[in-house]
Amino acid sequence: MQHNTPYRDMWYNETVDEDREAAIRLKNRRSGMAVFQASWILVFVCLCVVNLQLRSSSPAWPPEGVERLDAALPTLATLSLLASAVLVRRGMRALVRDSLGGFLLQWRTAIGLGVLFVVVMAFEWMSVAPVPEMRVVLANGEEMITGITQYNAIFRVMTAFHAVHALVIGLYLVRVLRTAAHGGLTGDTWSAEAGAKLWYFVVIAWLLIYVVLYWL
Amino acid sequence: MASISVPMPGVQPAPRPKLAEYLRWSVDHKIIGVQYMATAFFFFIIGGALAMLVRWELLTPALDASGTGSAYNSLFTMHATIMIFMWIIPMFAGFGNYIVPLQLGAKDMAFPWLNAFAFWLLPPAGVLFLLGYFVGPAETGWTAYPPLSVLFSGDGQTLWAISIHIAGVSSILGAINFIVTIKNMRPEGMGWFQMPLFAWAVLATAIIQILATPFLAGGLTLLILDRVAGTAFFDPSRGGDVLVWQNVFWFYSHPAVYLMVVPGMGILSEVLSIHSRKPVFGYKMVALSSIALALIGFTVWAHHMFTSLTPQLRVPFMITSFIIAVPTGIKIFSWIATLWGGKIRFTAAMLFSIGFLSQFVIGGITGMMLGAIPVDIHLHDTYFVVSHFHFVLFGGSVFAIYAGIYHWWPKITGRMMNEFWGRVHFAITYVAFFFTFFPMHLAGMQGMPRRVAEYAPEFQTLNVIISISAFVLGISTFIILANMIWAIYRGKVAGPNPWRALTLEWQTSSPPPAYNFKGTPIPFDDPYGYGTEAANAYLAAMEELMTPAAQLKSGRSAGPASASPEPVAGD
Repeated sequence: MQHNTPYRDMWYNETVDEDREAAIRLKNRRSGMAVFQASWILVFVCLCVVNLQLRSSSPAWPPEGVERLDAALPTLATLSLLASAVLVRRGMRALVRDSLGGFLLQWRTAIGLGVLFVVVMAFEWMSVAPVPEMRVVLANGEEMITGITQYNAIFRVMTAFHAVHALVIGLYLVRVLRTAAHGGLTGDTWSAEAGAKLWYFVVIAWLLIYVVLYWL
Repeated sequence: MASISVPMPGVQPAPRPKLAEYLRWSVDHKIIGVQYMATAFFFFIIGGALAMLVRWELLTPALDASGTGSAYNSLFTMHATIMIFMWIIPMFAGFGNYIVPLQLGAKDMAFPWLNAFAFWLLPPAGVLFLLGYFVGPAETGWTAYPPLSVLFSGDGQTLWAISIHIAGVSSILGAINFIVTIKNMRPEGMGWFQMPLFAWAVLATAIIQILATPFLAGGLTLLILDRVAGTAFFDPSRGGDVLVWQNVFWFYSHPAVYLMVVPGMGILSEVLSIHSRKPVFGYKMVALSSIALALIGFTVWAHHMFTSLTPQLRVPFMITSFIIAVPTGIKIFSWIATLWGGKIRFTAAMLFSIGFLSQFVIGGITGMMLGAIPVDIHLHDTYFVVSHFHFVLFGGSVFAIYAGIYHWWPKITGRMMNEFWGRVHFAITYVAFFFTFFPMHLAGMQGMPRRVAEYAPEFQTLNVIISISAFVLGISTFIILANMIWAIYRGKVAGPNPWRALTLEWQTSSPPPAYNFKGTPIPFDDPYGYGTEAANAYLAAMEELMTPAAQLKSGRSAGPASASPEPVAGD
């Protein structure tokens, strides 16, 4: 360490190294994305924890008189979402290899699969109407309203909260795709990388919710 | 007592940004830092005024000044929420924004645009929150426990939740920025353990923010839905569970307690070392204990719920609550050892740091008392708790903020604050603080409940002492405010490094120019290596570089066109 030269270079012989600046910018963006993912996924974890706690404080889950959610269609939607994640990744790889055609094809398919997922889940969401509250007369004659709505209400909140993310991030994917189709992504792989990473986020968040809602 | 160092003769004040630049969108971290601080101070005054109203009500045992119990409830709710979400947290974000990139020798934060965006979420959140006061204010305290917050509080509670939600998003975005900046933008030669301790503290705070605040976001989303969309997650009469809220809220809010004090601890490490000319004792332990606080902070949340928790679950949380005292203790002992044998300069910043040390220890020890199950069950929801967290949040956080202001205001404005009035401010604040909050311990132990406007007449003597001291404490705030404003216009020119400090924020002009450094500064390899010859040589070389003559020679104040490319540093 040179203690007697506290400044390495003065501004007048400091040249801005464009490559170095770009490298730092990319590194920052990647770190920022990772921190964001690690942070915001916890909102979904929070909703899952709420689900589990509501379940543990309820005498039966699903409560009596409420049908258990059917996992068939959502499983199909989940598979379609997983496939879209794979395609998003392959498309991003194609873009890095300068294969614009491959990118466009894979991302169009991926976005199509994403739309399929959202449509199926929207259908599920609507078919689970909030069940009317059920009054139960207890042994001591008191009337009590059971937690029958909780099962469906927390389902609706979790899926809707997820869908908001899927839609917003999906729109971002569409935007990147359109820019790419017009040749606007030359030399910029970050937009596609960001889109892909955000879409992974949507998938991971969904897998958490899917397991908690349908398999626990 | 050594005197405060005087700037080199002939040092001209560096140009300051115009006032208008602070009022509009800017991506310069220094502007954003000041914007945070100014916004926070504005809300500090409002929150303080509300505290004065609370104390006014409590002068007498009867319900008189505030009219109704609900009005009183909304007073202390507004007070608490403003002080936490609009004062302490943004104020530390302001310090972090201004100081951290400078300490790292960086030109700006990693994401300047995001930084500005995070700040500009705050004023709308604050306005929304204040508007809530006029549409049926929130009355639940800052904890917003259901069912009160769901079934009874007015529409202001909904606005409360929305505004806290926005502030939370702002805080997450800011934290992402801090983490990336500190991880990626350290200069060459600055490893993790050459990093200034304030940057460590900000890093620990940011870790808390990204891991805890999402839980607040989740909880608030459900609370808002319960209030506006007819769900009943927290309404036991319809099968909800109030404990869900308590768990989620405290899983955020206990770590949030640390995010309100850890940056203050970082300020303390800086000030104690610089103003006593001693290296920080146990630098690594102080740095790592910040991270330890951040992580252990996630394991203690249920000690806020001892009275609502099943008895078997209390014990593990009592144990973790005791464990978390260890990293705090490490810091306290390190600071005392740092002072030991140092050339202590009793500047206002130093006085407030020593004030922090003494008062925070009281707050910490009462925290341990409350962490013990039997004591907590006796003292739950009494004034003892109020006393405890004010010792931590005022005697800790606010004293640290004051110390930070006295320490860094010369850097921010280029002018020194008045030391005499700084000491007067300290003396009044310290004494008034003590007599405001210490008697609350006694009232609490004798059973005076918190959050009620009426109390048993035997507590009146204590409450009159508390209220009068609180009024003095409130007024004392205006001394520092006046001093800050006075310094901008009339303060002595500070020069680049009035405290002769080694960290990088002092190795540039005050205030720093656009992009902070004219050139690439090299950090001294031990940020607190005071008293060594190498450190003196580094400071001397830096001073040489910053003298008016050197500045003129290098053409640094004459503009780039005519610059002569001669080497300037003493090599």
